[in-house]
Amino acid sequence: MAQGKVYSSPDAALSDVVDGSVVLVSGFAGAGIPRRLLTALADGGASGLTVVYCHGPDDRTVNGRGISELVAKGRVKKLISPMPFSPGFGGVIEDSWRADNLEIEAVPQGILVERLRAGGAGIGGVFLPTAAGSRYEMGRDKRTFAQGDAVLELPIRADYALVEVEAADTLGNAVYKATRRNWAPTMAMAARVTVAEAGRIVEPGDLDPEAVISPGIFVNRIVSAS
Amino acid sequence: MDSMPERLNELAMARRVVAELAPGQVVGLGPVLPARVAEVLPDEASVQLLSEGGVLGYGAAAEDDGSAGSWVLDARGEPGVLRPGAAVLSTADWAALLRGRHLDVAVIEPARVSAKGDFIGWTAAATPGIFAPGTAVDLAAGAKRVIAMLSHTGKDGSPNIVNELSPVADGRSCIDLIITDIAVIRVVADGLALTEVAPGWTYDDVAALTDAPLSCSGDLKEISPSLDALDSERPGKVYPDGPSAIADMPDGATVMIDGFGGPGGMAHYLLVSLREQGTRGLTIISNTIGIARIVNFGTPAGKLAIDHSLLVENGQVAKAIATYPVSPSASRPSTFELAYRRGEVELELVPQGTLAERLRAGGAGIYAFYTPTGVGTLIAEGKETRTIDGKEYVLELGLKADYCLIRGHKADTMGNVVYKGTSRNFNAVMAPSASITVVEVDEIVEPGDLDPELVVTPGVYVDRIVKRPEGFSPYE
Repeated sequence: MAQGKVYSSPDAALSDVVDGSVVLVSGFAGAGIPRRLLTALADGGASGLTVVYCHGPDDRTVNGRGISELVAKGRVKKLISPMPFSPGFGGVIEDSWRADNLEIEAVPQGILVERLRAGGAGIGGVFLPTAAGSRYEMGRDKRTFAQGDAVLELPIRADYALVEVEAADTLGNAVYKATRRNWAPTMAMAARVTVAEAGRIVEPGDLDPEAVISPGIFVNRIVSAS
Repeated sequence: MDSMPERLNELAMARRVVAELAPGQVVGLGPVLPARVAEVLPDEASVQLLSEGGVLGYGAAAEDDGSAGSWVLDARGEPGVLRPGAAVLSTADWAALLRGRHLDVAVIEPARVSAKGDFIGWTAAATPGIFAPGTAVDLAAGAKRVIAMLSHTGKDGSPNIVNELSPVADGRSCIDLIITDIAVIRVVADGLALTEVAPGWTYDDVAALTDAPLSCSGDLKEISPSLDALDSERPGKVYPDGPSAIADMPDGATVMIDGFGGPGGMAHYLLVSLREQGTRGLTIISNTIGIARIVNFGTPAGKLAIDHSLLVENGQVAKAIATYPVSPSASRPSTFELAYRRGEVELELVPQGTLAERLRAGGAGIYAFYTPTGVGTLIAEGKETRTIDGKEYVLELGLKADYCLIRGHKADTMGNVVYKGTSRNFNAVMAPSASITVVEVDEIVEPGDLDPELVVTPGVYVDRIVKRPEGFSPYE
């Protein structure tokens, strides 16, 4: 029988992550962070990772673990985030960046999420007005449309997305809870392999089809959050 | 400095911000100071707060409320609660709402603001060599009105309001109003106008701490916010019937009509109302332009399905932007097909996926996008193509309309909509893309009756709500 989507442990679900992978990690402030998966990624062997995330200022909500732990263990080559750290509270992330051991690309939240959506939806690029006229233009292709100036933003496609979900059925259909939804549905679309850390794993038919936010086609692997 | 009068505390500043809000508005609160506005907003206030954590319609949690609030976070990551009529959003939904200019007011806390209304989120001194845009850039670029809420001076006493921010800014000419701990300043065409000061402060006191010219016309008022305006009810969205909900549609309007193929998920009652009204010269944006009336799709014997054909037959349509404009049967052409052959109507053909994406782009403030669909075909003719990362794409533009007629299952009186089965189809991407969106539903309920997790179209996108009459048939 073929391997189903439910994996026995976070380690098993991430065993094929190789050096240099691009990894998306869901979460906003303390909400919706796939903690077990992040720990497994930090404990795993892969390094040179590019990590896209938006946890909020200084990762403090996961008690120095999470992204900080990945950076501390030397797993990360580059971070892409709207708020990689808060000035003065950046901890190991800020220290590594100042020591030239870490690249950082800071992208406004709305632009970053649209780049991920473009990656997931097969869009080659989007012209967004957000950065026009600001320092976030970064010399990219800009042109004038009927509505005004817009900057070409390119898609982000990833190897893995690590997302937290409230419940998933064994086919991968997933629902979220309140603000823990945040980046997960978009990230789940943008990665080749999406791993969901689920508060509950249920059978097909247990979730209301009208309530499913991430259809199973976007979720490849499921591990229990507990 | 020591002799200066006391400055406003954070909550007093927050109350001054609240006095700027009007009933029915959707207001985005950034971190850190602006998030405190939620704390002073009365529970019964008729504005909806947007959190960048992903909820529209939250409020501050009561101080002793730990458990219920933990699922809802504001821009600081502090707990909040869902208010009746709330909708949960993903980050992508949040961004689309902002960029599509659906937010009435954004409140942000920049580090510095210039006399031109430019702002910067973090100073270069605080973060040399790195930017941390967070959400301020999105909020300031997207909102119809932007309020900067900040301390008038930095920790070192240096002015935060300066003449020019050069060469870099996080946003240009986007701040409309500045509320500080000592003053209220409007950004006007020729600079900054001081209109209010904190109790005990004078024009000279404020000017001395401001590194930009301040004009002052007439009486300088003392900051003393009144929250009375918010006691009034938000403007109503429920209309008594179909005709009244579209009565102001002018000839020549562009109208989006939802639906997929057959009679499901189409605003039949509004379509009949539009036929009765007789508005002409319409551009219709829709998946089909009336094939259900020709193709049977289970239509009972002796009946005809209500669809776009009504408008075409009635000579109301000038142009269609559609995916399926023709009947699949050459021997039974659709009404639109016949009109097209007679040269009476124009047609722009769009593949279904591209149509949905162009509609989403229109509502989400995406001016244009590159899609692989249609490359090398007639669809790409006359359009820009571009190779990105080794793959060829064609440039497609966002679509907007004057009106949008959609079909929901239930709506609350704030306009939050849920759908049923495949009748969801184009509704979700169309609703944000029109100036006036009218929804026809089976049932109108009160705010709080719909599960915020299940809301597909948040009320911010819906302007008018009509109940489909009991027993109304999609056939005639």
